[in-house]
Amino acid sequence: MEQQVTEYASGNEIAAIAIKQIGYDLMGYYPITPSTQIAENLDDMRAKGETDLIMIAAEGEHSAAGICYGASVGGGRVINATSANGLLYALEQFPVQSGTRYPMVMNVACRTVSGPLSIKGDHSDIMFLLNAGWPILFAHTVQQVYDFNIIALRLAEQVRLPVVVAYDGFFTSHQKRRCMRFAEDKVVRQFVGPKKEPHPFFDLDNPVTVGSYMNEPDIINNRYQLHLAMRQADGLLPKLFAEYGALSGREYNKVEGYLHEDAQELLVLIGSSYETAKEGVDDMRKHGRKAGAVTLNVLRPFPEKELAAACSHAERMLVADRQDSYGAWGGNLSLEVRAMLQRTGGRAIVKSLVYGLGGKDFFAEDAMHMLDYAKDPKSPDFDYYGVTEGTACGDGDACQGNFFAPLTRERTMIGATVVERDNAGDAQVRGGTLNATAAMPKRLAPGHGACPGCGIPVNLNLLSRAIEDPIIFLFQTGCGMIVTTPYPRTSFKVPYLHNLFQNGAATLSGLAEICYRKQKNGELPQGDIIFVMVSGDGGMDIGMGSALGTALRGHRLLLFEYDNGGYMNTGYQLSYSTPKGARSSTSHVGAKQYGKTFFHKDMPRIMAATGIPYIATAAESNPTDFIRKAAKAAHYAKSEGTAYLKALSACPLNWNDMPATERKVVAAGVDCCYFPLFEIERGVTRMSYEPDKTGKKIPVTDWLAMMGRTKHLCGEAYKEIAESLQREVDRRYQSLQRAAENRM
Amino acid sequence: MEDCMEQIFAKKDYYEIRLESIGGLGANLCGKMVGELAVRYLNLNSAGFSSYGSEKTGTPVKGYIRFCPPDREIRVHSPIVNPDLLVIFHQALTNDQSVWKGCSARTQVIIAVDQGQEEAALDRLPADIQTCYAVNARQIAMETKSRINVVMLGAMAKVMGFVAPEHVRQICRDNLGRKYPAALEGNLKGLDQGYAQVRTVRKYPETGTKKEASAAPKDSQEWGYVTAPIGGVNPRAGSTVTADLSPSRQGYVPVFIKERCINCGLCDSTCPDMVFQFAKGTFKGKEMMVNRGLDYYHCKGCMRCVDVCPVNALVRGVEAEHLEKQYFLPNQDMLRVPDYYVKAGPDGYVTSESYLTEKRMEGGEV
Repeated sequence: MEQQVTEYASGNEIAAIAIKQIGYDLMGYYPITPSTQIAENLDDMRAKGETDLIMIAAEGEHSAAGICYGASVGGGRVINATSANGLLYALEQFPVQSGTRYPMVMNVACRTVSGPLSIKGDHSDIMFLLNAGWPILFAHTVQQVYDFNIIALRLAEQVRLPVVVAYDGFFTSHQKRRCMRFAEDKVVRQFVGPKKEPHPFFDLDNPVTVGSYMNEPDIINNRYQLHLAMRQADGLLPKLFAEYGALSGREYNKVEGYLHEDAQELLVLIGSSYETAKEGVDDMRKHGRKAGAVTLNVLRPFPEKELAAACSHAERMLVADRQDSYGAWGGNLSLEVRAMLQRTGGRAIVKSLVYGLGGKDFFAEDAMHMLDYAKDPKSPDFDYYGVTEGTACGDGDACQGNFFAPLTRERTMIGATVVERDNAGDAQVRGGTLNATAAMPKRLAPGHGACPGCGIPVNLNLLSRAIEDPIIFLFQTGCGMIVTTPYPRTSFKVPYLHNLFQNGAATLSGLAEICYRKQKNGELPQGDIIFVMVSGDGGMDIGMGSALGTALRGHRLLLFEYDNGGYMNTGYQLSYSTPKGARSSTSHVGAKQYGKTFFHKDMPRIMAATGIPYIATAAESNPTDFIRKAAKAAHYAKSEGTAYLKALSACPLNWNDMPATERKVVAAGVDCCYFPLFEIERGVTRMSYEPDKTGKKIPVTDWLAMMGRTKHLCGEAYKEIAESLQREVDRRYQSLQRAAENRM
Repeated sequence: MEDCMEQIFAKKDYYEIRLESIGGLGANLCGKMVGELAVRYLNLNSAGFSSYGSEKTGTPVKGYIRFCPPDREIRVHSPIVNPDLLVIFHQALTNDQSVWKGCSARTQVIIAVDQGQEEAALDRLPADIQTCYAVNARQIAMETKSRINVVMLGAMAKVMGFVAPEHVRQICRDNLGRKYPAALEGNLKGLDQGYAQVRTVRKYPETGTKKEASAAPKDSQEWGYVTAPIGGVNPRAGSTVTADLSPSRQGYVPVFIKERCINCGLCDSTCPDMVFQFAKGTFKGKEMMVNRGLDYYHCKGCMRCVDVCPVNALVRGVEAEHLEKQYFLPNQDMLRVPDYYVKAGPDGYVTSESYLTEKRMEGGEV
């Protein structure tokens, strides 16, 4: 046995350690809770020089999977990590990876996939992968996360298939546990061995084509090859488990059981619940019940024989599913257990319960209740466990009637901000003063959960106080969405819709068009309605394609972006709008890394290329300018086509500055020209505020010094980075000024 | 000390600790240190985790740590319902019924109290709690230039009874020495003081009769699969208005000095929480929107308004000195004002800025 050391680590932390020890070449990833910590920890190690892993933060999971695919075709050793909706966003890439037979490993910290958004753990994501052609190892302990990561790569490369290491989001990904790891990386590297490439892609003397166009009769043969590879994996796994067991002292089997050999009643479940269930089984045994529990360490290839053997004495089985295959009357695990019994001649009575969705906790008592359920002859063979009927509206405060009167057109038409077209056809704004617009009822109720000093509600209020027509909001996923709609409460006093952040603009296109059609048909009263999509800069990364498509089609709606320069809701990972050099949880600062490596995205000018009638930037430090631009944007959105407005938005938590002084920080961002205020109206650029002409322009470093995330850039060590940022800021600013001077 | 542990594990499988805190006090790190302490220095197995949610400051958080003998596995993954040790990082949390969930006669409780607040905190202690300790965590943290979490760590080590002081100091060095070398000395002092100063404030004799755990407060969940609108649609427009946000405050409130106000509206433009109640009125003989007051129920104490006010009509006041909030107005757009919507008292959870200030001073650990 090789020497090992004790760690006290979570599943994500130990996965990162395994990945570092294996010595992968490249990680393509996109942050998503609860798997993000893997990339964060690896980036930290990179910054310290502990690994030279190439880490590419994609603009979405679909691209991350593409990056991984390209790198694996190129012969690199490749790792990815994802969860939930991210996994589904990348779904079409997984059969490509397996069908063309390029090995890689992907960690999946399992999380619920749902309509009303939830970040907590269940198995509804991983079960979508059952048909992707990837072997799936399922770790139910932190220790297994480490061990399976090492075994997975070896398996992947020997059978030439990509492999998933799955484990419970939060329960396993975040709970810290005592676990062991090899003291030396070289032990791990010897186990995985050297990588072999049957068709080296870069052998220019022997060029190969990867990814042919293939129909019948060839595709079925290609698929059969994949099927054979699964068979091969099925045979290989016991050998790998044994070999790894000799090395580590931990030998696994495809199926694992607890007091199952003589058990008459068996609980079958996967993930961390299996461990918890053992306690329930112990209690059952104390009461004289011959209970046991069984779990699967491997979901694909499905360990049919091993499972049949483990269940051979069971008279009753209860399969607990942490997801549902809706309409199949069981989750995928139950369906497969039932199929296994049929094929192996098993006689046990099987019942299924769907439990623990959206991270609902599973206690030892639940295991006992489930076994009681299975024993009850009257219980149906499939049901949900732990649902509540709810109560009729009674004493609850929310049932005492509406909190607010509807925001009718009469109430919001306060006449404080008026937009009219001039002779040239440009929009001109009258009013928009702070005092007069204070009369506008707020579209959001107080009581939202944003951090103290957060810029998002400030920007939303500035935006909506300028808009006198009724507003309909669509929020893409992000801080703004999470803090305003914590079920069963909502902050919105106006109609509101959420969609995932790669798709908000498209969704609003559909929503707006139906409204316009209904108005045309007379099903809805006439009168302008302003459709507003609200997105963070993160949503404008992953959702840029959707936003540009919407702009190109020219739907009458307003795209509003609050730019706080990072994925703040998930713990501040870098976004494409994070300043170059800034520290984030995926761009650490250390001996070998200075923070984010590329410049902030110039989204307004990307948007300008779509030719939409109105584009503007705004900042709370110039509130009247903000209000007027918001009014103009709304005017264009209702009368002409798509409008785009972007605001710099403070984040005290992750900018690492004080909540009270955020407006000053925003002002400095404007005064150093990092965030220039301008508008592009019907193709013509106008500067709204030129600090260089009034002697107010400050060096970029003056702004960077105000935030903990960028303060280091003001030191001598990072002078070059700060200077390159200054040059880029000046170049963009001067380019804007030239466009304005030339009425371009 | 070994004996003490043997006694514990003779009776039950796990020794269970629950931390009750609020984002920003460092309970997460404290929990990590306690868990790691057991594995590295106490020859125990341990597991630890926190309640999870969005990454936000100012919201209540819970931490869970389980110990068991080293040769056993910790199989349970669920949160701790019946803690052996309940550690409350701020006295204001004692108001929250969910904090006391599952406590029984055998639960030891440690509460961080401010001087002079001890009685009030004890008043809220459930009757069946037999053993309670208190420590002036904030005061010690300020005096030693440390953080509340290390003071609580010291107090926990003392109360647990099986932790040697040198071990808990070592885990502190392991965790903080590298990240905050400059602050290590102060943190060790804070830890020592926590260990030394934690004191018994309630000790009922063993009654011999085993009391049942306190009944868990009934979850206020109302909507279920029969009564909830399908698809998660929420027809209760603006219902976050019922949320009391005053606990987010860090010990300070904006104080309104109406005589100075020029009704410029800058405060309303910078407030993230819709606190300012402007209405039609006259100012200096002119009809305009006039600032009538503040909705302190929703004020998170960010002080943005104080920073932008050009005439010092809004100034920063220590919340404890402004129990009666002048110009307190409930949100004026509401159709009805629920009776709980009263003057939101001085119950800021976070009354020390040390954690966030430290984080910012150092350029941030993210």
